[in-house]
Amino acid sequence: MKMHKADRVTSIIFFALGTAMLIGGYTMDRLPIRQIHPLSIPGLVPMLLGASLAFCSIILFFQSTSEREGDPDANISKGSLLRLSLTVALTLAYALLLVGWLPFLMATAIFIFAFTLVFSWAEALDARARIFMVVKSAIFGAIAAYAIVILFEKAFLVRLP
Amino acid sequence: MSQLANLGSALWELSTPTMLFHVAWSMLLGIVVGALPGLTATMGVALMVTLTYSMDTTAAILVLICMYMGAIYGGSRSAILLNIPGTPASAATSLDGYPLARAGLAGKAMGLATAGSMIGTLVGIIIMVMVSPALAELALNFGSYEMFWLALFGVLISGQLTVGSVPIKGYIAGILGLMIAMIGSEGLHAYVRFSPVQPMNGGIGLIPAMVGVFGLAEIMSAMWLRQGVLASVRDKSDRVIPSFREVWKYRITVLRSGVIGTIVGVIPGVGEDIGAWASYSAAKRSSKEPEKYGHGSTEGLIAAETGNSAVVPGSLIPALTLAVPGSASAAVLIAALFIHGIRPGPMIMIEQPQFISTMGAILILAVIAMGIYGLTLTKLFVQVLRVPYAYLMPLVFTLCVVGTYSLSQRLFDVYVMIGFGLIGFVLRQMKYPMAPLVLGIILGTMLDTNLRRSLMLGNGDLWPFITRPISAIFVAIIVISILLNFGFVRRLLARVGSKLKWQRNA
Repeated sequence: MKMHKADRVTSIIFFALGTAMLIGGYTMDRLPIRQIHPLSIPGLVPMLLGASLAFCSIILFFQSTSEREGDPDANISKGSLLRLSLTVALTLAYALLLVGWLPFLMATAIFIFAFTLVFSWAEALDARARIFMVVKSAIFGAIAAYAIVILFEKAFLVRLP
Repeated sequence: MSQLANLGSALWELSTPTMLFHVAWSMLLGIVVGALPGLTATMGVALMVTLTYSMDTTAAILVLICMYMGAIYGGSRSAILLNIPGTPASAATSLDGYPLARAGLAGKAMGLATAGSMIGTLVGIIIMVMVSPALAELALNFGSYEMFWLALFGVLISGQLTVGSVPIKGYIAGILGLMIAMIGSEGLHAYVRFSPVQPMNGGIGLIPAMVGVFGLAEIMSAMWLRQGVLASVRDKSDRVIPSFREVWKYRITVLRSGVIGTIVGVIPGVGEDIGAWASYSAAKRSSKEPEKYGHGSTEGLIAAETGNSAVVPGSLIPALTLAVPGSASAAVLIAALFIHGIRPGPMIMIEQPQFISTMGAILILAVIAMGIYGLTLTKLFVQVLRVPYAYLMPLVFTLCVVGTYSLSQRLFDVYVMIGFGLIGFVLRQMKYPMAPLVLGIILGTMLDTNLRRSLMLGNGDLWPFITRPISAIFVAIIVISILLNFGFVRRLLARVGSKLKWQRNA
């Protein structure tokens, strides 16, 4: 994706966010019952921040329409989209689903196993190597999860999920 | 001179076996974290805060400082050997370090980087110990007006200086940070703002947000962009321990880089990467052989490494005396200090008069450990760089989850971490700097309460905001730094400058 196009889209999002904050601050309770000083209302700074964000987003919008020649930042750096989506999927599944649902030790072991296996899968070329990879990742996951739990609970006295 | 005497006695008090043990392991861990591309100093310090809950205050701070310094220094390893800076702080190091490594002089490059980092930190420590008490005393005169301007100045200057392309993105990042700080119960009337769910009533925690932005977002970028290839050969004549004569040859460069790094550190939210670049370009400008820069100049390497290490003590100066972090990692340190019952800010010399000397002593111990590891364990660090991401990153993410959860034993913080990680990743890809965002989160409350308190005190009068002497200085700096963004102002200044020069010559 081109940077100037992405900038234009985000400038609109930021403008909406800024306006929302401005309105949120304006309509915020002014605590008349407590008879506070009218300039110390809780909504004052949110209003100012919302207005500043909206203002900055307008500048960003107009800057993004004039594409600069030879700008090194013209393109957003390209990586592997597959690896990125796999990373996001695995980390979200672990943090949002597994932790809290399974005991922490088991959740962590499954996560480390899955992550290691998925990202080293391409290295294994034949069936035997794949079986070896699965076993290796499983052992690594189990040992690493156990080590983390022991280290945090016994050495650092931290409570785990 | 009494400051230096205090430093000596603090150093003596700290040199117990337990403390030395903590220095040994945390510095080693710090260097490993820094050396691994994808793990940054800020992430290391943020995760360490969790591990240090149960320790006593001094030990906890010592571990965090060692992690911070070790990571900044460790980044030079992968910069030299892989041409990938381990942390952004080492980007300038890789320019000259990698060509040296390719020429078979990796050992010499690492040795010089170690010497530069050590001297840079020492310069910074001396400035920190001498300047901090005076700055804290000056800051005692700050009223609400000045505190408001200080917070605004911090966010703006960080937004201005940390951005690579368009300054507007730095400002937007800063405003977003300030907006995040508006969530939750506010400081004057305890009114709860923008909080849809009950766990948000206390606001967004700095540590979960930072672990997200510097942890999960980093993991995502690392997995996205793949691992670098270790490619370097070592010459037989290559040696790690630098000769004294070589370091002495660059004494002026090293001193200048140390001072520049410290000053950059003092500027709020402007961190090690800028410190390294500023010293590197200053060294290049005054060098006798500027053509060598970028092709394996030892002078350039030592300037960059001295510059980024000097930022560490420099960034602690405003963090301790004003509670305004000098870098993103220093922001985490401030949060950690609060957790351990130390209140950084103008009152620090009154509440904890010995604390700044203790901080200096901790830094000195860290420098010694850094030197010992840096000059002896080169082979181990090369091995560390070979660990595949597929094994490393799931461990790091598990630490991110454990770290944020154990903060207050609630899963809500983990969700905050995830949210900030995803948003942080997108913003980073679009070249928004993260330091102003973090600074906004930490300074938002200070800006909000002090603005409204000043308005109440003056009964709506706006004059004191610009007529009080210290406020006036802040306003002037803020206005000038914003105006400098405009091309016509810069051109006008250049024209005035050249006219003055012409008149003087005539």
